[in-house]
Amino acid sequence: MVKYCTAVGVVIALLAGLSVVWAQKTTERFIPIGQSPGLSGEYTKIGSIESVSVQEQTVMMSDPSGGYSVRLAEDTQIWLDKSKLGATNEVGTVSDLMAGRRIEVKYKDNDPNAAAEWIKVEMVE
Amino acid sequence: MKRPANPGTHSLLRLLFLICIGLVGSSSCKPPPIPRPDDELVARGRDLFFNETFEGNGRTCGTCHPASNNFTIDPAFVATLPDDDPLFVAEFNADLERNFENPTLMREVGMIMENLDGFDDLENKFTMRGVPPTLGLRVSVASQNGPRTGWSGDGSPGDGSLRSFATGAVIQHFTKTLGRVPGVDFRLPSDEELDAMEAFQFSLGRQEELALPLPLKGRVPARGQEIFNDLTLGKCSACHFNAGANGDPNIFGANGGNLNFNTGVEDLPDQPADLTGELVPPDDGFGTPGDGTFNTPSLVETADTGPFFHNNSVETIEGAVGFYDGESFNNSPAGQLLAGATGGPIELDATQIVAVAAFLRVINALENIRESIGLLTSFADRKFLGNEEFEQLLARAVDETDDSIGVLAGGGLHPEVVAHLREARRLTMEAIESRSSSETLAREAIREQELARGELIEP
Repeated sequence: MVKYCTAVGVVIALLAGLSVVWAQKTTERFIPIGQSPGLSGEYTKIGSIESVSVQEQTVMMSDPSGGYSVRLAEDTQIWLDKSKLGATNEVGTVSDLMAGRRIEVKYKDNDPNAAAEWIKVEMVE
Repeated sequence: MKRPANPGTHSLLRLLFLICIGLVGSSSCKPPPIPRPDDELVARGRDLFFNETFEGNGRTCGTCHPASNNFTIDPAFVATLPDDDPLFVAEFNADLERNFENPTLMREVGMIMENLDGFDDLENKFTMRGVPPTLGLRVSVASQNGPRTGWSGDGSPGDGSLRSFATGAVIQHFTKTLGRVPGVDFRLPSDEELDAMEAFQFSLGRQEELALPLPLKGRVPARGQEIFNDLTLGKCSACHFNAGANGDPNIFGANGGNLNFNTGVEDLPDQPADLTGELVPPDDGFGTPGDGTFNTPSLVETADTGPFFHNNSVETIEGAVGFYDGESFNNSPAGQLLAGATGGPIELDATQIVAVAAFLRVINALENIRESIGLLTSFADRKFLGNEEFEQLLARAVDETDDSIGVLAGGGLHPEVVAHLREARRLTMEAIESRSSSETLAREAIREQELARGELIEP
C-alpha cells in the first residue's frame, strides 16, 4: 500500500504543475509603475532607461542605487503605463523602450540575473 | 486491493519526488496567524469587502461574494436580486453593456466574465467562470508552489498572493468603462486596505482541516467516507486530503498543499453554459497560455455552494462525484495517469456515488452547524465578531441553518437531524423578533444545533 501510494504520488505530482508562483499577468498591465502589490519596491527595479540594444536584447537602466542591465526574452511583456495621461494602459513593444523613459522591471522568478518577466514604461506624452 | 509494501522502492520513489520538488524550488505561502474574532484589522477588512466600491461601477467584493449565500452566487440567488443590483451593472451601464459580462450566462448559469488571457480582444478572448466561495482560504490557498488563488490558481496580480487578489478583482470587475484607467475608472486598493481584506478573507469559514475519518453515525455517509478515503476505490483523498483542498501529505509531502490538475472538466458534453447558445470560449486554465489545469477546491464547503467546477457545469453534488466515474475525467491527463498508476480508472456504481455525495453533504452540514453555533454564541455572549456585523449574527445563523437543512434534506439524509435544525431555525427567527428574550432563545437554538450535531457524529 505504501509503495502504491508513493507511485500514485510521483505520477500525480508530474501532472500537478511543479511551477513556481504564477501571478495573473493580464490585470498587471493596468497597474501603474510602483503600485504592483507585493512587488513594487521589493522585487522590482524602478528607474530610467539609459540605452537599449535591440541586437543584444538588453536594456541599460539606472536608479539612485546604480546601473543595471536588463535582459529581454521572447516572452517579456512590455506595457505602456498611460495612467498619468488618463488613458488606458496598452501593450507595447521593444521600440517603446527609449532612453530617458521611466520604467519598472520585474525579473523572472524575482531573480535579477534572469530575463525580465515584464517591463512597464511610463508614458507622459 | 492490497499491494505489498517495499521499503526500498518506497524510499527511492519518495527521494525522487522530493528531488523533483526541490529542483523546482518552493515558495510556499504561509497565511498570517489566526486573527482574534474581534481583531480590528478583520473588522476593517469586512467593512471594505462589503462596502467599498473603490470609486468604480458600484460593485463591492460582496456583490459577487455575498455573506448570505456562502460568499458565492448561483442562479437561484441571482434571481432574488433587484435589477439595479450592481451585479447587473452590464445591463444598465451603457459603457459596460458589451464585453464586460454576459447577462444570459450570469442569470441562467451564475457565471461571470474574466479576461484571463489578455484584454486585447474583448469580443472573443475571455472565459466564463463561476464565483468561488471565499471560505476556508486559510487551509486552501497555500502550496509549496506558491499561493493558489481563483479557479486556476493564478488569480492574483503582483506577487500572486491572496492579499493582491483584490487589486486584480477591482481592475477586472469594478471598472466604470472598458478603458480600465486607474484613477478614472476605479482606484486601486491601498496597502492598508489589502492587508485588511486579506485578514478578513482568511478569517472566513474553517480555520483548520478536518481529521478524517470522522465517527459518522449515518451508515451511508460513513460508507461514503470509506470510499472517499480508499485509494483503490474512490481515490478522492489523494487530492482532497481530509476532504479539503490539499494533496495527501503522505503522497505529496508535508508541504504539498493546494495543487492544480487537468481533470477534463472542460471536455464535459452538454454543459449548461453551452446549451444557452452563447459564446463560451474554451478555458485553458493556469497561466497564459494556459496549461489546462485548474485548482483543487475544498470539499467541506462544497455541498451547499453549487453549481460545481470552474464552469458551473454540474448542478448537483451527486453529479459532481459522478463526474469522476465518467469519460471526461478518465480520459483526461489526470485521469489517465491516475489509472495507469493505480491499475484502472475510478469506477463507482450509483450507490457508491450517492454514498460519497452523502458523506460530502454531512460534512458540509457539520460545518454549517459549527458556523451557526459560533454565530449564535457570539450573539448570546454579546461578543463582537470582526468578520460579522453584530446586527447580522442571527440572520447569518438562519442562513447557515437553512443550508444545513437543505443539504441534508436534499440527499434524503438524517430526517431526525433536520427536525432539530428546523427547530433551531424557528428559535433563531423568534430571537430576531424578540427584544427581551433574544439571548435565551439564541441559547436554546444553540442547544438544538448541538443536538443535531450529536445525531450526525459521535462525540
